[in-house]
Amino acid sequence: MMLPGRIARGFRSLLAGLGVTGRHLVRPIVTLQYPHERPDASHWGGPIELVTFPETGTHDCIACNACARICPSDCFEIEGARPEGARKMRATKFLLDFSTCSLCGLCIDVCPTDTLQYSKRYDEAAYQRVQTVNDLLAPFPEDPYFTGKLT
Amino acid sequence: MWLQHALARFLGTFGAQLLLGVVGVMGYLTFNVLFLIWLERKVAGHIQRRPGPMEVGPHGAWQTVADMLKLLSKQLLTPVAADRFTYLFAPILVFLPTLCVASLIPIADVQTFADMPNGLIVIVALSGVTVISIFMAGWSSNNKYAVLGGMRSVAQVIAYEIPVLLAALSVVLVAQSLDLRVIAAGQKVPYALLQPVAAVIYLIGITAETNRAPFDIPEAESELVGGFHTEYSGMRFAMFFFAEYTNMLVLGALGATLFLGGWKGPLLPGTVWLLLKAYAVIFLMMWARWTFPRLRFDQLMSFAWKLLIPIALLNVAVTALVLGVVR
Repeated sequence: MMLPGRIARGFRSLLAGLGVTGRHLVRPIVTLQYPHERPDASHWGGPIELVTFPETGTHDCIACNACARICPSDCFEIEGARPEGARKMRATKFLLDFSTCSLCGLCIDVCPTDTLQYSKRYDEAAYQRVQTVNDLLAPFPEDPYFTGKLT
Repeated sequence: MWLQHALARFLGTFGAQLLLGVVGVMGYLTFNVLFLIWLERKVAGHIQRRPGPMEVGPHGAWQTVADMLKLLSKQLLTPVAADRFTYLFAPILVFLPTLCVASLIPIADVQTFADMPNGLIVIVALSGVTVISIFMAGWSSNNKYAVLGGMRSVAQVIAYEIPVLLAALSVVLVAQSLDLRVIAAGQKVPYALLQPVAAVIYLIGITAETNRAPFDIPEAESELVGGFHTEYSGMRFAMFFFAEYTNMLVLGALGATLFLGGWKGPLLPGTVWLLLKAYAVIFLMMWARWTFPRLRFDQLMSFAWKLLIPIALLNVAVTALVLGVVR
C-alpha cells in the first residue's frame, strides 16, 4: 500500500508539472503574430504571375496561347493584338481563374518566352468565386510596346 | 465625500453610504472580472508560448471590455421547454452568495463591510449556496448536458466543501477565533507556514469549489458542451462568468486572510496587500488550470473522499494535539 509514499510521489509530480509550465510561462513566445509579422515565403510557389524582365521593365507575353492549350484545368483566358509595325503579338487580356488552377506548373514549363512564374503570394482569399480570377496584366497598366516606347 | 453629502440630502446618511458602497463594490468587482479574464487568457497564452489577446488596446487590455459589450448586445434565448422562473432566476441568484461573502472579508485593519464575530461560519454556510443556483440553472434548462453538469457540480461541491472546512478549522484552532479579523491579526508568521497541509488542501478545495480545471467537470467543454450554462446566452451567461470569477477573488481573498496574513504587510495600505495576496492565490489557480488535465469523475470523488478528507481530519487532530501539549 505505502500510502504516504504514493501521496508524496503524486505531490512531487504535480509540482514537477507546475515547474514545466512555469518555465514556459517566462520563456519568449514562439508563435507568429500573423497580420503584423509575415512568414518567410521566399520558397513558396503561389499563384502564377507574369515575370517583369529588368531589361524592358515589362512582361514578354506574346499571347501564343501555349499555356492555355496545355493547361489541364482550362484556367486561362488570353487575348492578344499586334502593335503597329511590330513582328510579335502582345497580350491585351490575360485572366487566370485561380479557383481551378492546381499550380501544376505546366504553363511555366511550356512558355516560349519564359514569362510565367510562381508568385510569392500566399494569403489569397475571396468572398466570391469571380474574385478568384486573377488579372495577370493588372501590374502592367501601360504596355510600352503599344505606346511606342519599345519596339 | 462631497458626493456622499450631496446624496445624503435625498437618501439620508445611511442610504447614501449604502448606495455609494454598493456602487463602489460592484464597480470594483466588474473591473476585477474583466481583469481576471484578461489575466487568465494572458497566463494561458504565455504558458503555451503565445502572447494571448494582443489586438484590442495595449496588450489586449480592452479585449474583455469588448467581449462584455458583445455579450450585452446579444439576444437572450430561453429554451421552449425550460422551467421559466427558475431559468431566469438562477443567473441572478448565483451572484448573491458570492457578494455576501465578499462583504464579510476584512479588507483592512479596521474596515469590513459587514463585521461579524463568527464570520467564518457564515462564509462557509454561504459559499455552499452558490451550488444551488448552479443546479437550478442546470435543471431548469431542460437539457441533458446541463442537468449532468449541475448534478456533477452538486456532488463535487459537497465533496470539496468538507476539506475546505477542515482546513479552515485547523486555522481556527491555531488562531483560537472564528472572527476573520482576529485570525488575520493573530498571524505573526503566515499560517501557510504553520499549516502547510491545510493551505494546500484549501487551495485544492477552492479550485474545485470554483469549478476550475483540473476540477471543471461541471463545465467540461469537451464532454458536456458547457455544463450547467449550456442553454444560457448573452448577459445571463455573462452573469455565470461574472459569478465564477468573483468567487475566485472572494475565495482567494479568504485564503489570503486565513493563510497569508490578510491585510498585513509593510509600506502599502492593507487593502492593497489583501488584493495582492488574493491575486497571488488566483494566479496559482490559473497556473494549475493550464498545467493539469481534467480529472475523471470517479477520480475526483475518490480524491476528495479517500484522500483529502482523511488528511484534513488528521491535520485537524494533529493540530489540536500539538496545541493541547503546547498550551
